[in-house]
Amino acid sequence: MKKYMLSSLSALALTAVAAHAETVNILMEAVPDTTYIQQLLPEFEEATGIDVNLEVVNYAEMHTKLVPQLVSNSGSYSAIVVDFYWVGEFFKAGWMQPLDDRIAADGFDTSVYVPAMMDLVGQVEGTTYMLPFYNYAMGLLYRTDLLEDEANKTAYMDAFGTELKKPETWDEYLQQVKFFTKDGSYGVVNQGLRPDPIAMEWSNYLFAKGGEFIDDGWHATFNSPEGVAALEDYITNLNDYGPVGAASFSFDEAFNVFSQGQAYSYITYNFFRAAVDDASGSAIVGKGEIMGVPGQTPEEGGSLNGAWGWAIPKSSPNPDAAWEFLKWVESPEIAKKRALLGGSATRLDVFDDAEVIAKYPQTTALKELLLGSHNFPTFTYTPQFVEVLGRELSLAVSGEKSAQEALDAAAAEFDELAIKDGRQE
Amino acid sequence: MKVARLDGLVRHLILAGFSASIALPLLWVLRVSLTDKLTAYRLPPEIGQIGLHNFVEVLTQYDFTRWFGNSVFVAVLATAISLPAAAMMAYATARYRTGGWPLMMMVLSSQMIPPIVLVLPMFLVFTTLMPVPGIIAITIAHVAINLPFMAWIMISFFDEDTRSLEEAARCDGATRWQAFTRVTIPVAMPGIIAAGLLGFILSWNEFLYALILGNHSSQTLAVGLASLETHAGVNIAPLAAATLLALAPVLILLPFLQKYLIKGLSLGALK
Amino acid sequence: MAHVTTMERENRRFGWLLTAPGLVLLAAVVLFPIVWAGITSFFNYSLIFPGYDDFAGLGNYAKAADDGEFLHSAWITLLFVVAVVGIQFVAGFVVALMLNDARRGKTVYYLILLCPLLINPVVVGLMWRMILHPTLGIVNWLLGTVGIEPVNWLGAPDMAFWTVVLVDIWHQVSFMVVLLLAGLSALPAEPYEAARVDGATPFQRFWHITLPMMKPVIVVTLLIRMIFAIKTYDIIYIMTRGGPGVATDLISYFIYRRAFVSLDLGEACAMAAMLLIVIAGLTAVLWRSMRQVQD
Repeated sequence: MKKYMLSSLSALALTAVAAHAETVNILMEAVPDTTYIQQLLPEFEEATGIDVNLEVVNYAEMHTKLVPQLVSNSGSYSAIVVDFYWVGEFFKAGWMQPLDDRIAADGFDTSVYVPAMMDLVGQVEGTTYMLPFYNYAMGLLYRTDLLEDEANKTAYMDAFGTELKKPETWDEYLQQVKFFTKDGSYGVVNQGLRPDPIAMEWSNYLFAKGGEFIDDGWHATFNSPEGVAALEDYITNLNDYGPVGAASFSFDEAFNVFSQGQAYSYITYNFFRAAVDDASGSAIVGKGEIMGVPGQTPEEGGSLNGAWGWAIPKSSPNPDAAWEFLKWVESPEIAKKRALLGGSATRLDVFDDAEVIAKYPQTTALKELLLGSHNFPTFTYTPQFVEVLGRELSLAVSGEKSAQEALDAAAAEFDELAIKDGRQE
Repeated sequence: MKVARLDGLVRHLILAGFSASIALPLLWVLRVSLTDKLTAYRLPPEIGQIGLHNFVEVLTQYDFTRWFGNSVFVAVLATAISLPAAAMMAYATARYRTGGWPLMMMVLSSQMIPPIVLVLPMFLVFTTLMPVPGIIAITIAHVAINLPFMAWIMISFFDEDTRSLEEAARCDGATRWQAFTRVTIPVAMPGIIAAGLLGFILSWNEFLYALILGNHSSQTLAVGLASLETHAGVNIAPLAAATLLALAPVLILLPFLQKYLIKGLSLGALK
Repeated sequence: MAHVTTMERENRRFGWLLTAPGLVLLAAVVLFPIVWAGITSFFNYSLIFPGYDDFAGLGNYAKAADDGEFLHSAWITLLFVVAVVGIQFVAGFVVALMLNDARRGKTVYYLILLCPLLINPVVVGLMWRMILHPTLGIVNWLLGTVGIEPVNWLGAPDMAFWTVVLVDIWHQVSFMVVLLLAGLSALPAEPYEAARVDGATPFQRFWHITLPMMKPVIVVTLLIRMIFAIKTYDIIYIMTRGGPGVATDLISYFIYRRAFVSLDLGEACAMAAMLLIVIAGLTAVLWRSMRQVQD
């Protein structure tokens, strides 16, 4: 034991010495997109002589871990990744460095990003604070094999008098959910855990029903008749057409139900599309596809947008080295390499790249999904609003409040937060 | 004789039932560790392909060995520092009523505050004192977390029974310190070992301070294993393997426990 | 007489000498954070605009006392603490008594019961979520083979509360066993021998010897478990996030969110201070009952 302590102490001393070489420290999450960067890092280290340390922690602990670092004058992170719903808070608290001067000086082209990405995790009030890293817009995962099955086609035609095909509208989708709930299988699996799984998933229902979160004056409008109908659809889907216990499911439980082949559909983050074809965790390899969440008409979409952005914190010990890294990781060639490894793109040039499309045919569907997606209201108190919304939705799902009561309560709290943030007159 | 045998049977039935309810979930974890995510959730359960690939993955693709080393370092060092300090404090309270109950209340009350409101100021202190808080900062924080609980546990083991023995030793010329270390400590050993064990466990499982005060190179098991739950799902099979590997300290602790807690109890058969 | 006072003085000095290292260590680490949190509780202090220019007096306390959700959390926490500490104590004491007198297999039993204690709560939560998955979990499948409908372990409010209690018991019951067993093993043998001579039944021995002599250990064990139970937040965070609805929204998780999601540290500190006062009160009561036995 003593020997071990001594060796760890000397290891500590060694890392202290090694710290003299330039090192970029970044806090990240163990998602596939992080792994792809890890694989490409040697290229960067070779080209620049800068070492990169990726500190990987659990998703929701990232915020807890970041806050003290950002509040402190001398943080240890050179660069950070920012989830879209922290953007308003980080901006308001002044925790991120503006990047415009660096972008101009190096002629970095930000026009290639999907505009919705720049709105979400790029610019805030006209200043660029982040470069979009990867998108996790939500889509509808569905089972192609079930749609193509002849027996299903006949039965569906008999029951509804229309053809069974990829759903074009929200109502058609709901009809299919009902249809596929039979023989121990479910039409849909939902992620009903509070706060973010349920809040994010329900947002798709709201948009699909034609509802919006807010009006131009930042007043809550999601307790409108469309919003209430969306919540009623959600409750019906979860309780009547989904597996027992979906009210407590996080992404993982819900995806496992889908990947075990027990549900026709699942509305979730687009990166789960790749997991459908991973044979170590999926019984439906080659049988699942993703599309944008259908809206009221075939032209409208109901998907919720989501993304992570790269930023350099005010407390960064070495912002110049951090910018070197950002420039590299978001360069056309590395962005393409990441996409070829399976990464989720934010740049139009990557979405349109022939090689990427050849390797991943679903790229085009993912691009359409992203282009048709809606943004969640981002402001200083978004994390708090997600908490409130998640709690009220969960109360409605567990039958302790009606849909209208739950949404009214959440809307009232939203308005309070918007006033506190100076958004409302 | 018959009654004694029946008595023993009932005793072992209760203990076996209890042990089974503890062990069965762990056996399921063991099963998952030998397969993959697809098979883990397959019902009815299939044997599937059994292998040690998850253990290999944990040891090669994750920083498991570093997490493990850090956790052992922090837990052993924090316990080694806080146990003697807590033992002395507990003895002073039990024998000399030092500071009385207000002092012991104050000591314990530091642990009645949810750590979430203390971790930020503590982080600010550490960042002022050292450029990069890391494993040393975590250890220091754990010393402060363990100490009050350990002291409280040990108070009741330093009770009146040994007072007369101590007085006899003092008459033979022993100092107060010698009476404490040579007479009282051996008698209170079960309590000291139990306190040490619980201190080790507290530190081993502590998450928040390890998360906030740690960095890339000082991640402990608690923080590292949590990262296997990601936005893109839980890597359940490698996590199961890592969970079992992380039980290794039981084997480190067992000899101590056997000497002081388990073997020492055979006297209890008389009771 | 003079001799006694010298002795007393030296005793007192020796006592403080023994206490000093621990006190210094503790004060060095936690004194500043506690004072900081105490001061912060009287200000409108948000991490978005950190600063002490907005004095709130008792405003944060009044706000917390008036917050229905906070009070609900306090109530749920009370139920949780009573359930887990009560059940763990009864089960733990029975097992400790059995184990104390067992002659064979002790090491094996001990080895098994230590295992859950060494698994950190996050992993415990994840493993149990897998085991209790309502459609893909082994437990519901086994129940299904004997004709029991799938149990909605975490998706229905009342059930979710008891599921969390169950998992916490699985994880922490051995804590009770370890401490109570240590207490049992430190008991002197003489009173039992005397009782044996008097022909006391095993129950009489337990009731008149073991229980009274164990009382200090029992009180401390209950006290420490109570404090840990009140501080439970990781299992909630992993298993239910306080849901469904607000059925498992324990107070520590509530304060955690107030501090690190809402970033409203003033209020979080005030809530923590209120919690401290309540726990300290409970501790004082338990401590007094312990001293009554001894003095």
